[in-house]
Amino acid sequence: MTNNSPRFGHTELPDEQHKALGRAVKFEWITLAFLALSTALVFLVLGNSQAMKAAWIEDLLSFLPPIAFLVATRVIRRRPSEEHPYGFHRSVGIAHLVSAVALVVMGAYLIIDSGVGLLSAEHPTIGSVELFERTFWLGWLMIAAMILTAAPPVYLGRVKMKLAEKLHDKVLYADADMNKADWMTALAAAVGVAGIGVGLWWANSAAALLISVSILRDGVRNLRGAVGGLMGARARTYDGAKPDPLGATIDEYLHGLDWVADARSRIRDEGHVFHVESFVVPEGGRTPSLENLEEARRTCIDLDWKVQDLVIVPVAELPEEFLPGVASTGGER
Amino acid sequence: MAGRQYIRRPILLCGLLAIAGCGLSIPTDPSGTLEDVSGGTLRVGVTESGEWVQLTPGQEPAGIEPDLVRKFASTRDAQPQWTQGSEHELAEDLKNGELDLVIGGLASDTPWSKHAGMTRPYAESTDERGKTIKHVMLVPQGENAFLLALDKFLLDRGAP
Repeated sequence: MTNNSPRFGHTELPDEQHKALGRAVKFEWITLAFLALSTALVFLVLGNSQAMKAAWIEDLLSFLPPIAFLVATRVIRRRPSEEHPYGFHRSVGIAHLVSAVALVVMGAYLIIDSGVGLLSAEHPTIGSVELFERTFWLGWLMIAAMILTAAPPVYLGRVKMKLAEKLHDKVLYADADMNKADWMTALAAAVGVAGIGVGLWWANSAAALLISVSILRDGVRNLRGAVGGLMGARARTYDGAKPDPLGATIDEYLHGLDWVADARSRIRDEGHVFHVESFVVPEGGRTPSLENLEEARRTCIDLDWKVQDLVIVPVAELPEEFLPGVASTGGER
Repeated sequence: MAGRQYIRRPILLCGLLAIAGCGLSIPTDPSGTLEDVSGGTLRVGVTESGEWVQLTPGQEPAGIEPDLVRKFASTRDAQPQWTQGSEHELAEDLKNGELDLVIGGLASDTPWSKHAGMTRPYAESTDERGKTIKHVMLVPQGENAFLLALDKFLLDRGAP
C-alpha cells in the first residue's frame, strides 16, 4: 500500500503481468464507457419490445464485471496485515460471486417474464417515432441500435480474454466471455424486432427467451466458478478448463531433489495467486537442513509469479487427510 | 468452442424471417387490421369527452376526434362505424378484436394502455388544474402497421 510498484498483495508482478494489468484496467474503462453509450442509446429506443428490454438489462448487468474487476484490482494491492494474514486476494472471488448472482437472478427473471409474454400471447406494440421531420416505425431504430452496439464488445472481449490468461484473472475472463457472446444478444434482439415487423408477434418474446437463457447460462457457469474459488477448490486454469499444471510442476521439482523421497502439494486459488502447501517426505527419514528447505522454497517461488505464498511441511508420510486421493494416485494431489 | 453452436440459432431465425418476409411490408399487422379497414369498415369506439368527443342521440359523433377519425377513414376508403360505451367497455372490445380504434379525449397516461396500443400524442391541452394533457387514441395491441398509418396521419395533419 505504501509504494506504487505493481503488486498483488506481497507478490511482485513480473513485467509481462504488469503490462497486462495496465492494459486490462484501460480496457475495462473503455468497456464501461462503451456500455454507458450503448445503454443510453438502447434506452432511447426501448419501446415495448421484450427482446430489447432483455438486451438492455443484459447491457446493464455487463457493468458489474468491469466494476468488480476495477475495485478488486485496487483492493488486492494491499499487503497482508495482522488482521488479514492471507492478504486480500479473495476480494476477486467476492466480486466474481456478486456478478454471478446478479446474472442468475436477472436471467431467471427474464425467462419468466418473456415466457409469460409468450404464453399469454401478448402482441407487442411498437409505434412510430418522429425524427428529422419524418414519421417512421420505431422498430427500424431499434434494429439500427442493436446492430450498432453488436460489434465493439466482441473486440473488447477478445483483447480481455488474452489479458485474463496472462493475469490468471477469472473475473476478467468471465467479463471477456460475456462480451464475446454479446453480439448474439444484439442480433437476437434485432431479429426479434424484425419479426414483429413482418407480423410475427411471438418472434419478440422468443428472442427475449433466447437472450434470457444465455444470461442464465452465463450466470450459472460463473456462479459455479466463483463458489468453487471461495470454497478453495483445486486450482484450475484461468478458464476453469483443467487443473492448473503448476501443481504437477512443483511436485515434480520437489520430487527431483536428492533429499526428498516423496512430495505432494495442495493448492488453493486465491484469485490471482496461489497458496501452496507442499508436503515432503525426506529421504531415509532424516530431517532436512534449514538450507535445504529454504532453497526448495525459493526455487518453487521462482517457478511462476503466481506462487508466492508457499509453505513446505516435512512429514514422515504423505497425510491422507490433507491430500485426499494420495494413496491411490501419483503426481499432483 | 461454446460459441459455435450459438451461431446456428440466429442464422436459422434470420432464414425463417426472410422466408416469412417475402412480399410483406414492414411493419405488418399480425391480425391484419390495416388491410381489413382499408376499403372496408373502421370500427370506432367513442365515449363522451368535452370538445374532443361530443355525442348527441340520433346524430353522428362530433368534436375534434370524430372529425379526425372521419378524415383518416377517408384516406383509407373506409366507412367509420361508431360504437358508444364507457371507457372500460370500449377497452374490453378493443382487446377482444371487436373494435379497431377507441377515442374519447384519452391522455397518454391512460391506464388502458396496458391492454391496448397507443398512438403518439398528437395534441396537447391544459386541464383546469393547469396540468398538460397529451392526447392519444387507442388501437389494438401489436397492430403496428395500422398504428403507424394512423400516427403518420395524425402527426402530419392532425394537430387541431
